[in-house]
Amino acid sequence: MAWTMKNSAGAPAQEQRAEPYLTDEMKKEFEANLLPRYPTRRAATLPVLHALEDKYGWLPYQALEETAQFLGLTASEVGDTASFYEMFHLQPKGQYLIQVCQSISCELTGHEGIIGAIEKKLGIGLGETTKDGKFTLTHAECLGSCGSGPCCLINDKLYENLTTANIDQILDALP
Amino acid sequence: MALSEPVLTKRIPTPPFGDPRNRHLVGYDEYVNTGGYAGLKKALAMDPKAVVGVVKASELRGRGGAGFPAGLKWGFLPPEDGRQRFLTVNADESEPGTFKDRLLIDFDPHLVCEGIAICMHACRLDTAYVYIRGEYHAQARTLQKAIDEAYAQKVFGEGSILGQINGRWPQCYVHRGAGAYICGEETGLLESLEGKRGWPRIKPPFPAVAGAFGRPTIINNVETLAMCGPILDRGADWFKSLGKGRPAGAPPTVPASFGPKLFGVSGHVNRPGVYEENLGVKISTLINDYCGGMRGGKKFKAAVPGGISMGVVGPDEIDAELDFDIGKKHNCLGLGTAGVIVMDEDTDMVAVARNIARFFSHESCGQCTPCREGSAWIYKILCRIEAGQGTTRDLDLLLELAGSMGAMPGTTICGLADGTNWAVRTILNKFWGEFEKRVTAERYVSLNVVGVR
Ligand SMILES: Cc1cc2nc3c(=O)[nH]c(=O)nc-3n(C[C@H](O)[C@H](O)[C@H](O)COP(=O)(O)O)c2cc1C
Ligand code: SF4
Ligand code: FES
Repeated sequence: MAWTMKNSAGAPAQEQRAEPYLTDEMKKEFEANLLPRYPTRRAATLPVLHALEDKYGWLPYQALEETAQFLGLTASEVGDTASFYEMFHLQPKGQYLIQVCQSISCELTGHEGIIGAIEKKLGIGLGETTKDGKFTLTHAECLGSCGSGPCCLINDKLYENLTTANIDQILDALP
Repeated sequence: MALSEPVLTKRIPTPPFGDPRNRHLVGYDEYVNTGGYAGLKKALAMDPKAVVGVVKASELRGRGGAGFPAGLKWGFLPPEDGRQRFLTVNADESEPGTFKDRLLIDFDPHLVCEGIAICMHACRLDTAYVYIRGEYHAQARTLQKAIDEAYAQKVFGEGSILGQINGRWPQCYVHRGAGAYICGEETGLLESLEGKRGWPRIKPPFPAVAGAFGRPTIINNVETLAMCGPILDRGADWFKSLGKGRPAGAPPTVPASFGPKLFGVSGHVNRPGVYEENLGVKISTLINDYCGGMRGGKKFKAAVPGGISMGVVGPDEIDAELDFDIGKKHNCLGLGTAGVIVMDEDTDMVAVARNIARFFSHESCGQCTPCREGSAWIYKILCRIEAGQGTTRDLDLLLELAGSMGAMPGTTICGLADGTNWAVRTILNKFWGEFEKRVTAERYVSLNVVGVR
């Protein structure tokens, strides 16, 4: 959540491409199944951005513009919303986003060792991406898994009761 | 007195009533076969106002943190005008130490659906949005599946057993957040639902009058709603026979802590997890009888009673009773979400304060200067103290900064700043000696005195 500048909210890349990010197929699906849920088109902003982020792994500036046009908003309105949320990335990230919880219950149960183990294994620090573009490592605040910490999210999957040994296996097992 | 049978965890095996290894996702059929939707059936046979009456009579208090009486909140709605009215279910659960709503969604999502339907019927709300935090990927899918089942069984949707409400068939949607703790604050949630950044609104107007999309809206926590099925099924008196009532002879204006509650225990215990017990259970009982004692046989040092914004209780308060009165009795903010974080004798309280301050600094939405700047400075000062570069003056400064921020001193829009305030002040005050040992003495020269004589 951001009023400070953070990596994911950094200046968006502005390249344009001919092919739209928000495809006609997506638009049709949203018109049919998403927009009827809300009294305003703007309320669909988060679900549409989620769908784009899922599809492309991040939100290029052009995708924000297309979302704005589709929802009848200005690009700055969509940008304002997108930059506020931790899960929307305005810059590319690795294929796997590893988010290690750093909140209190996980610090009490040793999240630091886990971050250290990952850093050593992947050769990157917090906020960095491996050269092959496979892994990005960051930390997160409480993931709602405090009773089974330390824990981390890798993309949409939660891993609990981490140890320096099992995190190694978990990373090795990723395709 | 200990809870004699599981209520919210009836279908979620939890010690001492069941073995967590037997947990599984309860589908619609199993839910109904084990008495599910009986509360909804009874509610539907009643006038909506009478249903609100039952919830009011049960004195059910909100389980999302503030403990506001649910029936009273439901009573604030203006009369119907035929236009849309909303229910927003708060499943944002992001406060460190809190992981109880997730248990209900993971294993018994129909308990939540039933509560939603009861509330929609009672309050005449036609559209429900479950605002679930974005990081709960699996939970959003599980919940969507249960809602789909509920649609198929005509709980929601066209031909619903609820009938038309405000001229519409009742609808229930999952709406995913995207990673911002502040969206758990009820008006931050509404802004986020409307597609904007999650900036809490200035109140009044309260959501019951002008909430989502400017329309009357009820906001309740997942666990609060989940409690409604059992209450409607078994009655307000049954509910009030559980938990902790008001002291003998106290007038009904004294708030009580009736009913069972989910307690999420984490930190330095042998078996952390979510347990269900009567409100009023002692922290020591949770640790010893449910969590298998302190990890490694260590001594208890401190505990957060219910999510980090509540502050801490100290070494001599292990027997504190977890009810809505805990704040007054043990000098903390309150029960909060009842996410208990236990710390053993080896815990560095400076580090704990630093971690908590970082959380609030990071999650402050930035609208109010005392919260945005105050939490950032508190975090910086605590880092300085942890690194051994603090002075005694810093300790005074911390107390002054913390004490001047929050909706209660009246300097901020929402309660996030109060969380920072209470967490920092209680840790500092209850472990003053520990902080003092970490700083170097510096004589405090007050600017007020300089040059006066
Ligand atoms: C900063 C902040 C964060 C909050 N986060 C949550 C949350 O994640 N889940 C929740 O149910 N309530 C949360 N609340 C409390 C809500 O504002 C609101 O009181 C609650 O959802 C009302 O439901 P209840 O009466 O059923 O508890 C939060 C409050 C504040 C001030
Ligand atoms: S108190 Fe903090 S989180 Fe709440 S509205 Fe103000 S700046 Fe935002
Ligand atoms: S503190 Fe790490 S999941 Fe809650």
